[in-house]
Amino acid sequence: MAGSINKKTGLIFFPAFDWAISPTHPEREERLLYTRDQIFEEGIMDLPQVVEYTPSLAAIHDIARVHFCVPRVEEQITEAHLIAAGAGILLVDEVISGRIENGFSMIRPPGHHAMRVVHGNRGFCNINNEAIMVDYLRSRHGIKRVAIIDTDAHHGDGTQDIFWHDPDVLFISLHQDGRTIFPGTGFTYELGGPGAFARTVNIPLLPGTTDESLHYILDNLILPVLNDFKPEFIINSAGQDNHYTDPLGSMKITAQGYARLTEKLRPDVAVLEGGYAIETALPHVNMAIILALAGLDYSGVREPDYWPGRFKETPERTKEVRRMVDELLGYWEKRDNYKPDPRNIRGNYYLREKEIFYDTEYFVENQVEKLRLCTDCQGYLAIESSVDSTYGRKGILCISIPFSACPKCREEAINLYLRQKGTGKYRYIYLQDKSEDAFMGYNTNNNEEWYS
Amino acid sequence: MYVGVDVGGTFTDAVLLEKNHVLATAKVPTKGGEELLISILEALDSVLRDVDPARLKRVVFSTTIITNFIASHKYDDVALLLIPGPGLDCNYFNFNAKTHILSGAIDYRGREIITLKEEEIEAVLSELALEGFNKIGVVGKFSPRNTAHEKKVAAIVKGRYPDWHVELGSRIGVQLNFPRRVHTTYLTCATYEPYHKFVDSVRQALVKREICADIYILKADGGTMPLDNSEELPVETIFSGPAASTLGVQALIPPRETAVVVDVGGTTTDLALILSGQPLLSAKGARVENRLTQVRALAVKSVPVGGDSVLKCSGNGIDILPERLGMAYCMGGPVPTPTDALRVLELTRLGDEERAREAMNLLGNVLGMGTEEVAEKVINMVVGKITSEVQNMFLEWEREPAYRVWEILHKHKVRPEMVVGVGGGAAGFISLVAGELGCRSIIPRYASVANAIGAAVAMPTLQINLRADTEQGYYIIQEEGFQGSIKNRRSFNKQNALDLAREWLIKRAQKYGVEVVPAEIEIIRQEAFNMIRGWVTTGKLFDVTIQTPRGIIERIGLGEDTLWLDQ
Repeated sequence: MAGSINKKTGLIFFPAFDWAISPTHPEREERLLYTRDQIFEEGIMDLPQVVEYTPSLAAIHDIARVHFCVPRVEEQITEAHLIAAGAGILLVDEVISGRIENGFSMIRPPGHHAMRVVHGNRGFCNINNEAIMVDYLRSRHGIKRVAIIDTDAHHGDGTQDIFWHDPDVLFISLHQDGRTIFPGTGFTYELGGPGAFARTVNIPLLPGTTDESLHYILDNLILPVLNDFKPEFIINSAGQDNHYTDPLGSMKITAQGYARLTEKLRPDVAVLEGGYAIETALPHVNMAIILALAGLDYSGVREPDYWPGRFKETPERTKEVRRMVDELLGYWEKRDNYKPDPRNIRGNYYLREKEIFYDTEYFVENQVEKLRLCTDCQGYLAIESSVDSTYGRKGILCISIPFSACPKCREEAINLYLRQKGTGKYRYIYLQDKSEDAFMGYNTNNNEEWYS
Repeated sequence: MYVGVDVGGTFTDAVLLEKNHVLATAKVPTKGGEELLISILEALDSVLRDVDPARLKRVVFSTTIITNFIASHKYDDVALLLIPGPGLDCNYFNFNAKTHILSGAIDYRGREIITLKEEEIEAVLSELALEGFNKIGVVGKFSPRNTAHEKKVAAIVKGRYPDWHVELGSRIGVQLNFPRRVHTTYLTCATYEPYHKFVDSVRQALVKREICADIYILKADGGTMPLDNSEELPVETIFSGPAASTLGVQALIPPRETAVVVDVGGTTTDLALILSGQPLLSAKGARVENRLTQVRALAVKSVPVGGDSVLKCSGNGIDILPERLGMAYCMGGPVPTPTDALRVLELTRLGDEERAREAMNLLGNVLGMGTEEVAEKVINMVVGKITSEVQNMFLEWEREPAYRVWEILHKHKVRPEMVVGVGGGAAGFISLVAGELGCRSIIPRYASVANAIGAAVAMPTLQINLRADTEQGYYIIQEEGFQGSIKNRRSFNKQNALDLAREWLIKRAQKYGVEVVPAEIEIIRQEAFNMIRGWVTTGKLFDVTIQTPRGIIERIGLGEDTLWLDQ
């Protein structure tokens, strides 16, 4: 690992000590305070195996490459978001250039609940830090295949939404069962769009799951699937709310469990997501992850009330985990022989309807997503989205052209954008052309058009 | 009248100042080892020749004494008793001293999570006594948040061995960084006795000369400490040399300038930055024996090139070796040096021109290059090394981590306006370095004793770090190792925390015989966090760092002193 080949682990520690969603919200100034105390006191940054970076700001353009922010990117974010996203981008650059072995972006605010279309804050997130890294990797470094392993206790529904139709991004989310926790999704049958079947893998775990099951799943499902997929880059959405002391989650994972997970996964970059046991978990879990990334001995990192063998898996849970691993492996094996449900197909298009709940601001968004079924590329995407009462009754139209779009899809998408500008059917129309790295928006009220 | 004395590796310099004027200067060779004091007194006597000692208000020394003690390992062995608790294995830091790990742990909030084991401590002490140790550093992880464990261990040691010297990490390393605290405590413990002897002999020598002015020692951060108090934290006086030259330049240039200080010596060139009139402090502490400490120091870079560096051919090029074999060739030395190159290009008037040309030809003959061509190549190499290091220093300063949104948004690019040369070899190189960096070059009058001027004008600096935890109802004054309780937990606020810190700083200043104007106290850091548990505010955490103002007593350079060698 890192230590043995003299390449360092890059750390960005950005606790945003002057940013909060609201004074008493779990996402508040205090969240990384004790983590700061712990890593500073341990002298982690002085170790020859570690190098600390100052984050830089992400560009609005980097965000528009992933998201349709309504009405504009600038209105959905604060500077703290640009810094959190910029930290991930900086570490990506450093890993790709070979200056560091791997990196850990310990940042706030988190991002994995932010979907492709952004009307507001969901699950403490506005923009998706990992998705921004992935599309940056593709646009700036020519990387094609990326795996995102989401180990937050909450289903990474935002990341899932963004890469649902993308066969080159493997998204694996391991989380507490959606029947018992926000956002209520992430079941085994959520497997990705018609062209990217089983590139979305959801592993819902029953409340109380321990290190033992976590590592059974890693060894028997996640690592073999990664081995088959052969990603060029691995990102870990390193949420820490599976910890046994987390106030929002109900899992029983320990700092040692997290350290071993990191050691096995060997992510190129880990990105902090949730984790709200700010005193009892975060200082220990963050330490454990840093040491594991840097190839250092983490055996001394333990919670004051932990002893080996404290948490034991029940036989029922062990049995259920084994069954689920077999089920998911079955889907993975059939990944290239999947036939989409004909009820979702209209002519040359695949349709998906979604209802998205914004828990922070309490409203519902309705979406109809239309994918062009194309034999030459993954197809362009057109999304109609509306939120009651926000922009009157009119909705918005978001058109996304993928990186590897064929000329036919690209032409059709651009024509759709041009045609709809004149119909007055939508309040805002967006065209996200990843193949040309150009992102535009149009306001039908005043006929204003802009580039992001 | 003020006197400044700076003891350097080669020369000891002294100046006598009065009302912005330099009245006398002296330069004597530094004698090594035990004779260091002789050099100091020689320089002092020289500037005080015609002065009534009663007119002296203060004398400031900047010495290499601690650096010498450490480099020569002239001290008794120190044993470390560490209380690291769970977390990172402290073997990664290899403290290079007799180390015992004790049971016990304090957490980030200062709560005890593992208790000490007295019988274990007793056993360790018996073992150390048998091995002949009598100097002990006791250092706990998170001890600045709760000093109880360290104090308990110290009490046990003192109970059994009243003569042993014990130092506590919580008093010496008040910042959060356990490995640096351990190393700083070790050095403090190690140098305590020899430093005490040195201070004693200085004191006696001054009495003999009937000098009863205030005596100070310069610290690495450019502040001073009364000689008597310096015995508590001798390690703070390490690396005061570069601090002295930087302060000297600060006194010799107009206020609020952004400048690079280039001190070209025999084999090294020291670089320091003055940003908008203030010398830049290093983000990390001073590095001693290749380990970081918690000693605050100016950000100084040492580049291994100087006027007397040895030049040698290698392949098709020239190497600048980090060593000195004597004077420059043009001054009768044995090998070609950068000074010879300067002489050939008429950038200096030192030495003999013919010998300088001969020196360049020694290299040119091997490389098939002309005399001037070689000289230019050498000068370009030296200037290139210095300028790239200056640029690195600015970059590093810009890249220092920031943990708040506004800090990131307010990071800006700063570039120097002037390059100020000090030190013997500066003359020839400075204008070239300034040219590369696109700024003015200045060699102030008295550049050769800028270090002693810096010592003379330095002011005392004292800091107080306060931590208050209203949920647990206690506060701690880290420099004093004092832990007190907060009576009005609910209403205790940011202003109370600041007032409390001010109170303690004034108290500490009195102890150090330093005058403080309350309005001039500088706030370095002020953090306040609400602690929310289950949507309810259960307490507040405050961290406050304040200090007496940084700065210099006066500037030099009115009247004829404004004559600068502006190149």
